[in-house]
Formats: sequence, structure tokens, C-alpha cells
Amino acid sequence: MNAELASLATGQPSNVDAALSAKIDIRNLNFFYDKFHALKDINLKLQTGKVTAFIGPSGCGKSTLLRVLNRIYDLYPKLRAEGEVLFDGENILAPGQDLNLLRARIGMVFQKPTPFPMSIYDNVAFGIRLYEKLSKLELDGRIEAALRRAALWDEVKDKLHQSGLGLSGGQQQRLCIARSVAVKPEVILLDEPCSALDPISTAKIEELIDELKQDYTIAIVTHNMQQAARTSDYTAFMYLGQLIEFSPTQQVFTNPREKRTQDYITGRFG
Amino acid sequence: MAATSLSKSLYARRRSTNFVAMLLAMGAAVFGLFWLFAILGTLFWNGFSAIDLAIFTQNTPAPGSAGGLANAIIGSLAMTLIATLVGTPIGIMAGTYLAEYGKKSVLASVIRFINDILLSAPSIIIGLFVYVIFVLQVGHFSGWAGSLALSFLVIPVVVRTSEDMLNLVPTGLREAAAALGAPRWKVVAFIAYKAARNGMITGVLLAIARISGETAPLLFTSLNNQFGGSGFFSFWSSDMNAPMANLPVAIFQMALSPYEDWQRLAWGGSLLITVAILALNIAARGLAALTSKGN
Amino acid sequence: MVNQAADPSGAKHIVQSFDDDMNGLTSKIIQMGGFAERQVADAVEALVNRDIVSASRVIERDKEVDHFEEEIDQDVIRILAMRQPMAVDLRIITMALKISNDLERTSDYAVSIAKRAQRLADHPEFAAMNQVRRISEQAIGMVKDVLDAFVDRDVEKATDVWNRDQELDRNYTSLFRELITYMLEDPRRISQCIDLLFIAKNLERIGDHATNIAEKINYMMLGSSINQPRRD
Repeated sequence: MNAELASLATGQPSNVDAALSAKIDIRNLNFFYDKFHALKDINLKLQTGKVTAFIGPSGCGKSTLLRVLNRIYDLYPKLRAEGEVLFDGENILAPGQDLNLLRARIGMVFQKPTPFPMSIYDNVAFGIRLYEKLSKLELDGRIEAALRRAALWDEVKDKLHQSGLGLSGGQQQRLCIARSVAVKPEVILLDEPCSALDPISTAKIEELIDELKQDYTIAIVTHNMQQAARTSDYTAFMYLGQLIEFSPTQQVFTNPREKRTQDYITGRFG
Repeated sequence: MAATSLSKSLYARRRSTNFVAMLLAMGAAVFGLFWLFAILGTLFWNGFSAIDLAIFTQNTPAPGSAGGLANAIIGSLAMTLIATLVGTPIGIMAGTYLAEYGKKSVLASVIRFINDILLSAPSIIIGLFVYVIFVLQVGHFSGWAGSLALSFLVIPVVVRTSEDMLNLVPTGLREAAAALGAPRWKVVAFIAYKAARNGMITGVLLAIARISGETAPLLFTSLNNQFGGSGFFSFWSSDMNAPMANLPVAIFQMALSPYEDWQRLAWGGSLLITVAILALNIAARGLAALTSKGN
Repeated sequence: MVNQAADPSGAKHIVQSFDDDMNGLTSKIIQMGGFAERQVADAVEALVNRDIVSASRVIERDKEVDHFEEEIDQDVIRILAMRQPMAVDLRIITMALKISNDLERTSDYAVSIAKRAQRLADHPEFAAMNQVRRISEQAIGMVKDVLDAFVDRDVEKATDVWNRDQELDRNYTSLFRELITYMLEDPRRISQCIDLLFIAKNLERIGDHATNIAEKINYMMLGSSINQPRRD
């Protein structure tokens, strides 16, 4: 604790390794829906190039936490966050942040697929066009790369100019991932990305997560414990707005430290 | 369980009650529909005979002479067009404010409340209002005044439908766009409008349908101009600044007149308006169906 | 019967049939353990009493132990497929699979002892038998206690069994030396001594399996291996 205080004072991280690998460092985060205290004193580090899974019963605050990380909660009145969320060392909760730029760097994929009512091509191009002026050729290349990245290219390459709404649920969700990847974010937040999908589509997305973590730092909220166990390197168990346990995934699912974690993941009465 | 122990007589009574209730409901529906078809039937019966080429090409005649409704049709079209062009953007912008920005704020609630009043206000009051603030100031009736009154009728309809349609756009879609780093206005302009487009067009069509049959506000504003301009093509250059002929008022005056040929023209005009409104409503329904299918 | 599926805190699964599955599995392990323990005891008894008939009964009953193991294999696979168990459940279920294997091996050694008991019944009584009996008591005691530890989810008792293995090993080594001495003294007894030697070896192996089970109980309950130096 003292070492940490000292390091804060000097601006030097107390543990160089840990500081280097933490892409997002959440410190004493509290979150309020008006008067409801939804997140209580969360401390957590998202490691660079790793997948961190958030599990916990409905309403435990895991989605809320994700929505703090790209400040999407700012779209709504009466929500507020206290504490610090350091993204590459910079506090994104501090006033004066360019939220649009922040969200371009921290992408998010939602529970329900949300294709825009436009062509597949334009869906992916939308985000790119926001911040970059590219020639048609460059844009085409970026779109193909993003769709390949999301393992969707082969399925849509002949119908790029058809509506994104015509795709299946799993394809739509991969389109949304392609859309996020296309803007080249550094972090990708996945909020129950497979909850509306069949097992095959789910498997494809999990495979994708595995691929993506080579280049991105990923946080995934999921109700599917097996999915958390399969896809993540670290797992955070949250309960009633608190972070109960945060450990390497293997430990959480074979030998959790906390009884509440164990009760939850083994399906026992709390 | 219950079904097996249900006595036969109880079951029979329920069946007969159900039958009687259904019969009454059907009777009420038939009664309502009967008058609707009676009205339409009379209209078509009397109107068809009045419709010929002259009704589209000649101006309203003096009693006893041949003529048509050309100046009234053009006047109606012109005023409806201008009212729509003025009212639609204002309505959409106000609706956008309510749905995307104001939401539950006090200002938005006040606007919404006033808009609802405006929506249900008798149109004659709108006419009277424009008469006081515009016609009296300028000193004479005019096409502009008529357009103004009609646009006051367009705005609340468009405000309401735009807001409703934008509210129907899933929040997730806006969040998804915002999460890519899109600023607020781009989210609205490129995502929300696109998703709500058909619904909003439907709203505009319904507004047009509403104003194209309005008589009351026009009585106080554009009044009528029986003779249009002068010369054969006079209606092409209809002067918006002068009193202006329009179908509803023309029908109103002709139908009440003792002259038989005027009454005939009034039937023809009524049929024209009815068909136009019917077409607009069908188009609006079609678009709405398209929208719900798209989602 | 105590609720074997519950974790140490006694909380039950939300899905009750999961508890039933776990209870079924653990009670099968307990039954199988009791059976294997009796096999060893009967085999040693047959050896000591020179009772060929009960020795052949031990050999006969080995099939039932194999049957237990098969059933437990199937249960484990079914539960894994159906429940996707996690944490303590996962550890109990996978360890049940391994423990049943240890028990099956234990019974195999009992059979081996019984076969040699049949052969030794023809030979005259022999002084080293007392020493063999002592080892067998130790080994059977370990099997019994480790099964108690499993039933009671008692990590301490399991660790105690684990510690006792060294004592058994020492006694086995000394018996080994004793038997070598007998063989050197009287070559006519070599074949008899070799049988006893193998029996001792079997008992020592049974102790090893009891130790394995103790380690598995420890992992099952704590999620870690026993990490303490063996006390001397």
C-alpha cells in the first residue's frame, strides 16, 4: 500500500511489469444510477493482450462495469462514476475527455446484434469514415480485412451491398465485431455477445475471440460459465456490485478462493 | 383437472354466452361499416358522373355556365405543397429534439403537452388564429395565409409521428453507433433517421392526408377565388398573395348553392379529395408495413 | 446418510438432481471402497488361515469390483456431459474417477494375494507370516482410514494416512531383508519365500494406493496437492 502511494507520488509504477501490461487499470471505481450504488469500490486491471471475463448473477454490475470503460453510460442522464479508470495511464473519467475519440479506441459489441439499417459494406465503413478519409481502394481493403478478421468475409463477399439486416443472427453479430475491429480499437468490450446465438455461431465467435486477443485487449461479460472458462485468461466474479474474486481463469473454475464464487459457479444456493 | 370436472350445463352456458357476445360485436361492426359504405357509395354514385376532362382543365364557372375545378385543384395542391414543405422540416426537427435530446426534460414535456393540444385543436381555431395574426395584418385573404394555416396542422402530426418513430429505433442501435465513436448528431442523422425513415414518411403522408381535406382553416385564410386569374393559363401563375381557390372551400360553397351544375361539381370535387386521401392512407399503410417487415 | 454432494459449507445445488447425481457417485465410491477393503482383509485372512475356499471366493469377487469401476466410469462421464461441473464439483467428480481406479487396483492386489495364499496353503506354517500379518494390518488400516476420510471429507485424516505410508514402506523393507535371510538359510524355502515376498510387495502397493487416495481427497477438498514434508 505504501509502495503504491509512493509510486503514485513519483508517477513511477511500483511494479514495472504489472504496470506495463495493464491496459486498463480500474481504481476505487464507484458507480451510481442516480441514487442506486451499482458498483462498489472496484479495483481491477485488464492485462494487455489478454481476455478478461466478467461473470456473476444478473444485476451484479458486470455490464455496468463494461459500460463505464467506454463511458457509454454518458449517453444517459443521472449516471455517474467516481474513482479512476486509467487507460494507458490516462484517467478516462477525468473531465475534458473526448468521448468519441475514446470510444473509437475502446470498441464495444452488444448483447443483441445491432446491424445498422444499411448495406454490409456501409455497416463496416461507418466507423472508419468517422475518423479517416480513405480512398475507395483503401476503404475496400480495410473492409475486407475487417470482415476477414471476423470470419465473415467468405459468407458475405458476394453480397456486400445488400442490407446487413438480411444476415442471420450469428452473422449479424460477427458483422458487429467486424465493425468494431474496422476502426482499429485497442480494447474490445463484449457484452454477452453470444447470448442470442446458436451453438455454432457461438463457437465461431469464441474462436474469433481467441484470434483477436493477439492484437487486442478484450473484456467479455457472459452468463455462460463454460464460455468464460473457455475464452478468458482472467475471470472476475462480481456480486451485488462488488468484485468478489479476480484470478486466473483456471483457478476460478477449478479452485476458487471465495466461497461465494464457488457457490455461484457450481450452481449452489447462495 | 378443471376441464374434466366441468359440468356439461356450465360449459353449454358459457358457449351460448360467448355466442351472444360475438353476435352483438359483429352486429356493431356491421352497423358501423354500413354507414361508411353508404357514404362512399353515395359519393361514388354522384361523383363519377361529374368527373370529366373539364373538371381538371376549366376554372370554376359562374352558375349556369360550363366549367371545372382546375383552379381549386391547383390551389389545393399548391397550398398543401407549401404547407408540407414548411411544416415537415419544422415538425421533424421538433420531433427529433423530443426523442433524441429533450427526452424527459421539462422543456420537452412542455413542448409535448402543447403539441398534443395543437394536435387535437379544432382546425377552425387554427384558421381563426391565422386570420388574426396574418390576414388582418395584411388586410386581405391569400394563398400564403392558407398555407400557413395548413402548415400549423402539419407540424403537430409530424412532430408526434417523428418522435414516436424515433423512439421505436432500438436504443442498442444508437449505443452501437456511439460505441464506434460517432458524435451525437451523426448517430441521429445517419442511424436513427435511417432506421425511422419509413415511419417518418408515413407520418408526413398522414399529415398531408389530413390537411388536404380541411375546410375550416381555409375559410378564414385563403377563402376562395372563383375565377382564378384571367386567361386560359391563369391558374399556372396563381397568385399566392391573393385569395386562392381550393377544393374544400369550393365544395363547401358549391354544395350549399341552389345551382344544380355547381352541386354536381361539388360531388366531383368531393370524390377527388376522397380518392386522394384514400391513396395517401394506403401509401402510408404500405410504408408502415414495409417498416415493420424491415425490423 | 450425510449429504455427500454438498461442499463443506453444506450448501446444496439449485438443481436438486445434480445433488442426487453427486450423492449417487460418492455412495458408489464408498461401496466400492468397502468392497475392496474386504477383499484385502479376506485375502490376508485366507492366507493366515490357509483357507483355499475363501481365497477362491476373493478371486471370484474381483469381477464385482471391476463392475463397480465400470459403473463409476459411466456415471462420471454422464455427469461431466450433463452438468458441466465446476470448481469443487469438478474436483470431486474427476477424483472419483481416479479413486475408483485406485480401488480397482487394490482389489487386484487382493486377488494376487489370494492366489498365492492358495499355493502357500500346501506349505507348512512359517515364522515370517507374523511379520506379513503386521504389514497387512497396516495396509488394511490405511485403506479403511482413507475411506473414512473420504466419507467424512476429512483432510486431516487423509493426511495422516498419507504420512503412515512411510512406516509401511519401512516395515516392508525389513520384511524383505528377513525373507532374503530365510532364503539364504534354507534354499528349500525359496519358492515359499518368494510368494511371501510378492504378497508383501502387494500389501506395500495397496498402501501406496491408499496414499494416492489420500492425496486425491486432499486435492478434492482443497484444490491443491499435499504440500508438507512427510513426517518421520
